[in-house]
Amino acid sequence: MRSFLTLWRREFAALFLSPIAYVMMMFFLLVTGCGFYWLIKENLELNHSIQGLMVVIWASMLIVIPVLTMRSFAEERKSGTFETLMTAPVSDTTVVAAKFTGVLTFFLLMCIPTAAYLAVVGWIKPDIIPLLDPGSVIGGYLMILLISAMFIALGLLASALTSNQIIAAISTFAVMSIFFFGGLFEPHLSKTPLVREIGSYMSAALHLMEASRGVFDSRSIVLYLSATLFFMFATTKAVSARR
Amino acid sequence: MIKVSNLTKRFSGHTAVDDISFHVNRGEIIGFLGPNGAGKTTTMRMLTGFLHPTRGKVEIAGVDVMANPLEARRHIGYMPESCPLYTEMRVDEYLKFRAKIKEVPRRELKNRLGTVKEQCGLTQVGRRIIGQLSKGYRQRVGLADSLLNEPDLLILDEPTAGLDPNQIREVRDLIGRLAERHTLLLSTHILPEVEMACKRVLIIDKGKIVASDSPESLQKRLMGDAQISADIQGDVQTIASALKAIESVDIVTTAPQEEGWNRYTLDSAAPDIRTRIFDCVVSNGWKLRELHMESRSLEDIFVTITQGQSIEEESK
Repeated sequence: MRSFLTLWRREFAALFLSPIAYVMMMFFLLVTGCGFYWLIKENLELNHSIQGLMVVIWASMLIVIPVLTMRSFAEERKSGTFETLMTAPVSDTTVVAAKFTGVLTFFLLMCIPTAAYLAVVGWIKPDIIPLLDPGSVIGGYLMILLISAMFIALGLLASALTSNQIIAAISTFAVMSIFFFGGLFEPHLSKTPLVREIGSYMSAALHLMEASRGVFDSRSIVLYLSATLFFMFATTKAVSARR
Repeated sequence: MIKVSNLTKRFSGHTAVDDISFHVNRGEIIGFLGPNGAGKTTTMRMLTGFLHPTRGKVEIAGVDVMANPLEARRHIGYMPESCPLYTEMRVDEYLKFRAKIKEVPRRELKNRLGTVKEQCGLTQVGRRIIGQLSKGYRQRVGLADSLLNEPDLLILDEPTAGLDPNQIREVRDLIGRLAERHTLLLSTHILPEVEMACKRVLIIDKGKIVASDSPESLQKRLMGDAQISADIQGDVQTIASALKAIESVDIVTTAPQEEGWNRYTLDSAAPDIRTRIFDCVVSNGWKLRELHMESRSLEDIFVTITQGQSIEEESK
């Protein structure tokens, strides 16, 4: 447990030491901020705007998560520190778990300022707050947590499979896009009902809309939790297989 | 301390380490030699559990590295080739991080850090960022890291590679001091280093161990075909034939020098025939001003062995 905490702290701190994390943070806040402003401006129905905000956060994940996860294993492999790390008395599982939690905490930290958008709206137009459904806000953020966990685990897997950060980022992006566009274009995806059903089942955007409407759907929770565990398991295997 | 049996590592297409076995006892200092690509690093990586062997078994301090990797790693301090470090961290930060994941007890942490920093001469640079340190200092940080958990066994892969002569001397002194307390396995290209520090040499070539002995006895084994040179004054023909008459002298070459002196170079199969040359010179009334045996350096041994002939096969 102590080595897990130590490794987690180092992963978390390492993100703050690299300029790329700050660039990502700026990008993320810019996109979500502008997105939310536009949503509010176009339709002043607050609950719809929250749904919209969740989808905007999800869309920026498409860029942010591949970039945050790409370095985790690939960089260590390239610089050779992987060798010192893996010859210390820590298990592969601990290393994978620490790297996962490190990126996840960083990403969640990044999401906190988006909650301030709501506060700003409340400050400008105080009478709108009673209309706000706390369930939908909490549901939306929980769904963000689940989705980001899954894609961070996916990013770690890609990073563990290569020593090239660019390849890791692009392959993470490619797989994430299936989930992104699969849902977005679900009605146009295919005439076959089965393909459309799979498309909607995988659609993170749909899940987010549902969750931030306050709807609790166990199917999506099962999907994200199981996929997260699967990707982390695969990462551990990839780390030990490359010995 | 180390027990390696029938260790083999095959990468796709070629065999890097081919069925090697050796023992290292507690307190020994072993020099691990071999040309580039001979399998030194691969072997060391398997010892530390970083690479999994294709076949064979490694035991460190009685612990099977494959079956119980974490326990085995607790006994090892390892510094990989080229000494990789997190360059964005400060020296103190890095060592503290490493100490924690190496399970140094919280109460001892401060003491241990102080001790290794002092041992490795890092007290002045604790606040510096590793990326801004010179190669020599980074090497020291790597060494300090490998010492943090007070390992029984230190494995150092080319600890002096890429350093300037002063830094090499510093690192070598440091290693010399460490050798008093730890079992040490170090690989290097720099042979005088091994000659100076190591009690035993393992020479590996093309994935196989071709020699395992102390530097001195390796020298003795090769002494058989030692070269002796003698400066003798007198008639070349008579002296050469007299020298050739001495038992087991093979070839005599002469190189004329000033004032009737000649340098005779003898190849001899007998262990040491210097006294017999002296006797020969005295009994004939010639003059002798120099007589010495070229002792084979580890470098000669290394070259001889890794260019085809194995000493062990020869001595059988």
